[in-house]
Amino acid sequence: MTAAQLVQYLSWATYVTIFVIVAAKAMRSPRRVNIDIALFFSLPMLIVVFTLLAPPAGSLLSYLVVILLLALPYMLIKLVDDFADVPKWLLYTSEVLLALIVVGTIALGSKQPDWFVTIELFYLIVFLAYGVVAFARQSQRASGITRRRMRSAAAGSIALCLVFVFSGLARAAPQFAGLWSTLSQLSSLASGVSYFLGFTPPEILRRAWQEPELRAFLGRAARLPRLPDTQAILAEMESGAAASLGAPHASVGLWSEARQALSFGVGDEQVDVTPTPLSAVGRAFLNQKPVFSPNAPRDNPAVADALRKYGATALLVAPITAGKRKLGVLTVYAPQAPIFAEDDLALVQLLADQAAVVLESRALIDEATHVRAQEEVTRLKEDFLSAAAHDLRTPLTTLVAQAQLLERRAVRSPEAPADLAGIQKVEKEAQRLKTLVLELLDATRTEQGRLVGTREEVDLTEVAEETCARNGTELHPCEVEAEGPVLGCYDSVRIRQLVENLVENAVKYSPEAGAVRVKVWREKECNCLSVADSGIGIPAEDLSHIFDRFHRGTNVDDKRFMGMGLGLFICKGIVEQHGGRIWVDSVHGRGSTFYVALPVEVGKIDADVT
Amino acid sequence: MTLMLHEHAILVVDDDQDILSTVAEILEFEGYKVERASNGVEGLRAVERAHPALVLLDMRMPVLDGWGFARTLKERGISLPILVMTAAHDARRWAQEIGAEGYVAKPFNLGDLLNAVERLYRHN
Repeated sequence: MTAAQLVQYLSWATYVTIFVIVAAKAMRSPRRVNIDIALFFSLPMLIVVFTLLAPPAGSLLSYLVVILLLALPYMLIKLVDDFADVPKWLLYTSEVLLALIVVGTIALGSKQPDWFVTIELFYLIVFLAYGVVAFARQSQRASGITRRRMRSAAAGSIALCLVFVFSGLARAAPQFAGLWSTLSQLSSLASGVSYFLGFTPPEILRRAWQEPELRAFLGRAARLPRLPDTQAILAEMESGAAASLGAPHASVGLWSEARQALSFGVGDEQVDVTPTPLSAVGRAFLNQKPVFSPNAPRDNPAVADALRKYGATALLVAPITAGKRKLGVLTVYAPQAPIFAEDDLALVQLLADQAAVVLESRALIDEATHVRAQEEVTRLKEDFLSAAAHDLRTPLTTLVAQAQLLERRAVRSPEAPADLAGIQKVEKEAQRLKTLVLELLDATRTEQGRLVGTREEVDLTEVAEETCARNGTELHPCEVEAEGPVLGCYDSVRIRQLVENLVENAVKYSPEAGAVRVKVWREKECNCLSVADSGIGIPAEDLSHIFDRFHRGTNVDDKRFMGMGLGLFICKGIVEQHGGRIWVDSVHGRGSTFYVALPVEVGKIDADVT
Repeated sequence: MTLMLHEHAILVVDDDQDILSTVAEILEFEGYKVERASNGVEGLRAVERAHPALVLLDMRMPVLDGWGFARTLKERGISLPILVMTAAHDARRWAQEIGAEGYVAKPFNLGDLLNAVERLYRHN
């Protein structure tokens, strides 16, 4: 056996092997594309068989071999039409040309003139080249294993094209017949091997081709559980799955036990889909098996419109399952049934399995966060109760002891004059308690967002002047700077409380003598007020917490400055529940200026006023 | 004018002026001599000066707190009965921590305070 013969037998063996595999597959799953693949490869198989029978020239069999050869480009174009639209005129042209050439071949017999052979070769090469371009284009659009299989198919078609090119050259330059024949044989083998890799890749090759996409998805998936919310995770997984498959769109439907439906995010909306055996999605979820639906709008007319909106014809659906828990489905939409649907479906299932891991991790993180949040709420409640209890007990101690002392005095010496100082002390402590209790109630209302009641027209200038008059002393004169009334529609009781609190603080935290300056003015879209002092100021590290509940400046001596650390928390509540903003500028040891910006109209404020 | 029945003073240490004055007034009304201090340091000075028979001690105070006060007394070898009075809910534990003879939790009943004071004062 010569080397040339060996090459020929090898390429024949390859083509026969491909046919056996694709024919078996077409019988197992008789989809149009599988049948067309089998038909395409039946041609080389038959050519091989008939050639082996060594028909004499001019016999029916020898004509059949030629006709089968001529049918190759036509079948390839039919195959291309299954996954990419081939223009109708081109299909018809190829059919007509094929028919004419076949008739010509039979009519002219073995004495074909050069012009006819040229037309024959031209037809073969041009239509095979069209197939090459179609496969190459499709491989650009696809990704992963499909892309590689498409490339192999394109390479196979190029090699097949070359077979005919060299046949043509053998006729044009017969002096190099040996060379052309060898090149033609080698091209034939190359096309066989390429088609083998493209249409019937061995499992090991499929895995290797799948790996980069899976690895890329896994790389992304590892970061997913830490995204801020489940919606963000789903969006990332969907775009990741679509990218891995080279599909325009993918979506995850999560099973909702409460609604007994798969919930898909469509834009900003949630669309519930009840899983039924009628739809591919329902079958995948109910049977827990991946499902490929080449024409989903036809399968399930109920969702045809929704699918058309995505330009989706084919659906690849895989169940997302963690252990025995059905979490949902991963659906990938394709505009046309993919040629290698089985590989794509296997990849979708792999991605769905990863999605299950991501969703489970997320659920665990959510659970842990929830527990932590619960603990934080409990801790805050305990802090609140213990701080409140301590602050309430101090005046209560004096109140109870003083009242009991008054009683003792009255019992022991009823004739003695009333202990006025003692009574005043009882009253003072009762007032102190009242203030504390009200503050605690306000803090609770602040948290519940129920601080602001009935609104009426309030003049901030007037409120500032009244407050200053009440709080100003010789040591701490309080001055108001305003150009006239500044009117707004607010809860007048709360606004007075706010200004009172800020001015009181300004006086309280200015142990040395120093003026308190209140400024009221109107800006673009807000009514503003500031309270400035030259007191102890706020250390930089406290500035971001100064409006928090129970937070007191680290430079505030608890015993020197009474308070529960609720005042500014309530102030912030009053301002924010009016739709405004409050902030502070302060230099430790040099004083603080608190700013308040309230909307002129209810609920309106320019957020950038600073 | 109440009769002075007791020769030795009782030292009251509390940073809350209202509580300090009220407790002092109560004790004086019951015939005790009272020394007042607003924190641990003032308390220690008063101990040196007046040699009280009993200390009524608040725990959380600025400058020097109840723990510091008790520790310093021990360091100086001064043995004095201490009655802890604090608003904290763990008054009992704090009293044990500093080896005090008793405690009253704020807000206390006047009767309870006086009973405890009398018991410790007599004992001494």
